[in-house]
Amino acid sequence: MLLPFQEQIISDLLEDPNGGLVVLSSGLSLPSLISSLLLLHSSSPQGTILILSASDSQKHSIHNPNPNSPSDITSDLPPPHRASLYASTGAFFVTSRILTVDLLSSRVPHSSVAGLLILNAHSLSETSPEAFAVRLLRSTNPNCYVRAFSDRPHSMVAGFAKAERIMKCLSVRRLHLWPRFQVFVSGDLERDPPEVVDLRVPMSGPMRGIQRAAIEAMDACLKELRRTNKVDVEDLTVESGLFKSFDDIVRRQLDPIWHTLGRKTKQLVSDLRTLRKIVDYLVRFDAVTYLKYLDSLRVSEGVQSVWIFADSSHKIFELAKKRVYQLVLSDGRKYVGDSKGKAIKRRKVKQDNGVDGESGEGTTVSDGTGDVGMSGSGGVVLEEVLEEAPKWKVLREVLQEIAEERQKINLPGEGESNSKDVGDVGEIVLVACKDACSCMQLEDFITKGPQKVMREEWEKYLLGKSELHGFQKREKKKSQGPKGFGLLNGVVPVGSRENAKISSICMVEHDALMAAASEIRNLTKEEIAVEESSHSHATGIERKKGRGKGGKRKATTKHQNSRSKGDMKGVENNVFSSEKEDQRDQTKQKAISGPEEKLLTGVTKDKSILRKHDQEEGATEYQPQKPLPPVQFYAIDSNQQILDIMKPSVIVVYHPDVAFVREIEVYKAQNPGRSVKVYFLFYEDSMEVQKFEASIRRENSAFESLIRQKSLMMIPVDQDGKCFVSSSSNESQSLVSHNSVTRKAGGRKAAENEMKIIVDMREFMSSLPNVLHQKGMRIIPVTLEVGDYILSPLICVERKSLSDLFQSFASGRLYNQVETMVRYYRIPVLLIEFSQDKSFSFQSVSDIGDDVVPTSIISKLSLLVLHFPRLRLVWSRSLHATAEIFASLKANQDEPDESRAMRVGVPTEDGIVENDVRAENYNTSAVEFLRRLPGVTDSNYRAIMDGCTNLAELALLPVEKLAELMGGQKAAKTLREFLDAKCPTMF
Amino acid sequence: SSSSPYRQNRNAILVSHRQKGNPLLKHIRNVRWVFTDIVCDYLLGQSSCALYLSLRYHLLHPDYLYYRIRELQKNFKLCVVLCHVDVEDVVKPLLEVTRTALLHECTLLCAWSLEECGRYLETIKIYENKPSDIIQERMDTDYLSRMNHALTAIRHINKTDVVNLGSAFGSLSGVMDASMEELARCPGIGERKVKRLHDTFHEPFKRVV
Repeated sequence: MLLPFQEQIISDLLEDPNGGLVVLSSGLSLPSLISSLLLLHSSSPQGTILILSASDSQKHSIHNPNPNSPSDITSDLPPPHRASLYASTGAFFVTSRILTVDLLSSRVPHSSVAGLLILNAHSLSETSPEAFAVRLLRSTNPNCYVRAFSDRPHSMVAGFAKAERIMKCLSVRRLHLWPRFQVFVSGDLERDPPEVVDLRVPMSGPMRGIQRAAIEAMDACLKELRRTNKVDVEDLTVESGLFKSFDDIVRRQLDPIWHTLGRKTKQLVSDLRTLRKIVDYLVRFDAVTYLKYLDSLRVSEGVQSVWIFADSSHKIFELAKKRVYQLVLSDGRKYVGDSKGKAIKRRKVKQDNGVDGESGEGTTVSDGTGDVGMSGSGGVVLEEVLEEAPKWKVLREVLQEIAEERQKINLPGEGESNSKDVGDVGEIVLVACKDACSCMQLEDFITKGPQKVMREEWEKYLLGKSELHGFQKREKKKSQGPKGFGLLNGVVPVGSRENAKISSICMVEHDALMAAASEIRNLTKEEIAVEESSHSHATGIERKKGRGKGGKRKATTKHQNSRSKGDMKGVENNVFSSEKEDQRDQTKQKAISGPEEKLLTGVTKDKSILRKHDQEEGATEYQPQKPLPPVQFYAIDSNQQILDIMKPSVIVVYHPDVAFVREIEVYKAQNPGRSVKVYFLFYEDSMEVQKFEASIRRENSAFESLIRQKSLMMIPVDQDGKCFVSSSSNESQSLVSHNSVTRKAGGRKAAENEMKIIVDMREFMSSLPNVLHQKGMRIIPVTLEVGDYILSPLICVERKSLSDLFQSFASGRLYNQVETMVRYYRIPVLLIEFSQDKSFSFQSVSDIGDDVVPTSIISKLSLLVLHFPRLRLVWSRSLHATAEIFASLKANQDEPDESRAMRVGVPTEDGIVENDVRAENYNTSAVEFLRRLPGVTDSNYRAIMDGCTNLAELALLPVEKLAELMGGQKAAKTLREFLDAKCPTMF
Repeated sequence: SSSSPYRQNRNAILVSHRQKGNPLLKHIRNVRWVFTDIVCDYLLGQSSCALYLSLRYHLLHPDYLYYRIRELQKNFKLCVVLCHVDVEDVVKPLLEVTRTALLHECTLLCAWSLEECGRYLETIKIYENKPSDIIQERMDTDYLSRMNHALTAIRHINKTDVVNLGSAFGSLSGVMDASMEELARCPGIGERKVKRLHDTFHEPFKRVV
């Protein structure tokens, strides 16, 4: 069902038979607009509709509401089949790559296509493949329409007169703007708005600290960046720094002078990106996952990063740690870690305590949230904090409140017709959060309770650490540990003497972590062992005993009950504490008796069973305190049309998102009879709130600028893809004239001997074929084994953009490619293509350095040139320059022959047919992945692909089978060992 | 004629007297160089030579490069045209230079500063007999960079993702065998990456023909 404003959008768009560009606010249900356009089409089909550049989720949401939903035209379909689909009067999704290839090889019947729908129009440009497809299609079929859509207004204004240029390349004349503040839109949506409850959740102290520190660091980075005087200061605020588009702003300004920038400036730009993630994930991840993320950040960012050594970043790491665990001396006092001597002294104290009483240890445990791990050395104990996200608690309260309200309404109204729109108890509450990951976690949290979720994460974290530790030890034994491991150790590499103290603290902490980890590992091992050996009998008895114990404690220990905040936590608390008791015993015993090994195992065995027991009990007894309504979790980034399917009356927005808010508004407006209540959970004073508000402001200002642009726009009269002469009567003539117009732009040759270039299928991802076609050359798409472009029987070109060049030098791919080109062609050419809007240079003078080093691009290129003296290099300033160079190189050459070009380099001896279309039939990223694995070589990778279907299967193949496929034990062993090696990714 | 001075100065770049006064010479620091009487501008090895061309000079004397190349008479295996890009508007002159070099079997190298020009000459001299190992596929690196190398073959996967995936699944085979849901549980791996990873590992190598 469409709202009045949506119907208006469609009727406005249909007014112009030539098409138009629609820009609307995000969340105003673009998919349903498309669906209803398709519905209109299917009622009176005039030809085929092709939908370009739709993302997967968009495809999905367009699929659903439509009876004859459009299907995909993919490269899997054989060409004749594709041709018949183009001729049928249906609607299809197609990629611009396939469409251009099919148009070029004239597989699309003339005038069979009624029109194109182009989604995500903001990503278009003159040179993009979609523009190419539009031009090709309009040249054969000037009557077809082009309707383009975008729901990202802010990316429509990124760049000079972007909207106008996009309209030009699609050759449409109308721009339709539909902001949220438009009269019709706001009128429809605000007639009967949903009830909104805005909940501000205060962040915990450490969270606030982390946020403050991250923003400080961000601010410092921005100040540094400003000081370089290279960027426009106006755009650089912390607020704009919260958005991804900030990177674009900065890069757009810096790209043309990128080579003149110092290393530090470049690092600043990437640091800002990292910091934005840190702020973002702070409110999205739980404490343990967040710490894990920071840990891996520290590994991957390593030493280059500027901010990581700043004061504020230290604070971030410290606070993040504090949310998970802290170090205490086992007598309960906080571990300050002054010096080694002191630590030893305290250990003595602790031993005393262990003998004569548990007063000190009582305080350690009294935190009530976690148990205590013993460290092997020093008197330092790891105390778990495991802070849960503040929103969790509020979410639970909200859900309980909803349930209570429903009960209240339902109880008195039981006899009467209570089919009021409030909904019955069974109705589902929708909780919307950003990603699938947090969905699953919240679900766990609701069913299992917060502590259990945190504990699981924590155990995973510790296990990861200990595994790494084991790995390191092994590695050290082999005494060939790669250099990187110093970093992985968690000890920031420190050279100076004053830092020796700090590193010793780190070691203590590290040891404590390891101890806790090994304990958990032992537990899980033994749990399994117990389960396997004495499944029924023994555990039964023990369990009974355990329960009795727990019960007794519940009766006796008063302070625990008083301390526990909610009753639901009470049960679990008790069980935990009983376990703690055991552990206290354990620590005592450990303290008293030197050779504790035997005792320890005895106790842990007992404990492991206890632990299992309390998990079960926790799971069963956790729930029933207060009934919760049924809950459905929804990840906003999965972009499903959940609202229309679920029809919820209560929605909890766990992570605020503008587009989703709009979706709720539209949903409410579409169901006027239904009352919809929305709870927003914001962290008070957080970047989350700021970001939400800023994104609304940003969208509004984007629309204002678009409205201004629209009023000033100059659109040529003939920008409608066809000449003004009534084109339906003499179609063929207009075709010729249109072609000749494009040819004049090239200005090279008459029509009879037009230039021909053979282009590899894969190259249609890039814009060069488009530009070559604009220059009036005939493009012949085929699949090439050698080279990307064949200009003549002699000239074969391998095209590399600058980033490709660096990458394929690093991977060694370039060497192989050049090698085969040199083998098969007289004039092999490596084309190095720079981008128009980036600087025309390899590197800045300051990067050249004083010595000849093997890692420099100069060295690599020199080496390539030395080894392939016949290789010709072509340096091109831009796409357009490349097209001119191609034309000039072809001037005195024969035209290439596509059937010959296709055969070049295709192995024939192992049964592969000469003409088979290779690239289309391969999972190219899987093949690339495979070829990068150790032990896999040029000679054996084909055999491996024949021997197993996919990489997942390869991952499980035993070494014997691998040896068979790879033609050697050694290679197979190398591969197997690499696949199974433990990842040294944590520290 | 160029072989006798070459034998005397096997480890030096031989520079033609024509190049006297070229400021480029002061940037050749890592290799010895001497003036000699040779046809090319720089003799970099037994059968490799270089001609220096400033684009600004080319704009004034468009035929210069052609005559210089013709003088060389194909006596060299590798003939480098070292083009110093010192003008703003490069497209047209560079096109002419490219065409001349390509059709007369010369290899064109572009440099944007005299330092860079000098470095090319030094490097080609120093690497005269170096094997091509460093630009070929390498096998013997440490685990993490190998892992990076493999996984970053998949588009959009960056180094932080590699670390995250590794720590979530323990080993590469674990990552390769992971289900869609397991991948989605990994922090920092968004929906797009999950799909890409899953497709790469679970789609067959060969699509159904």
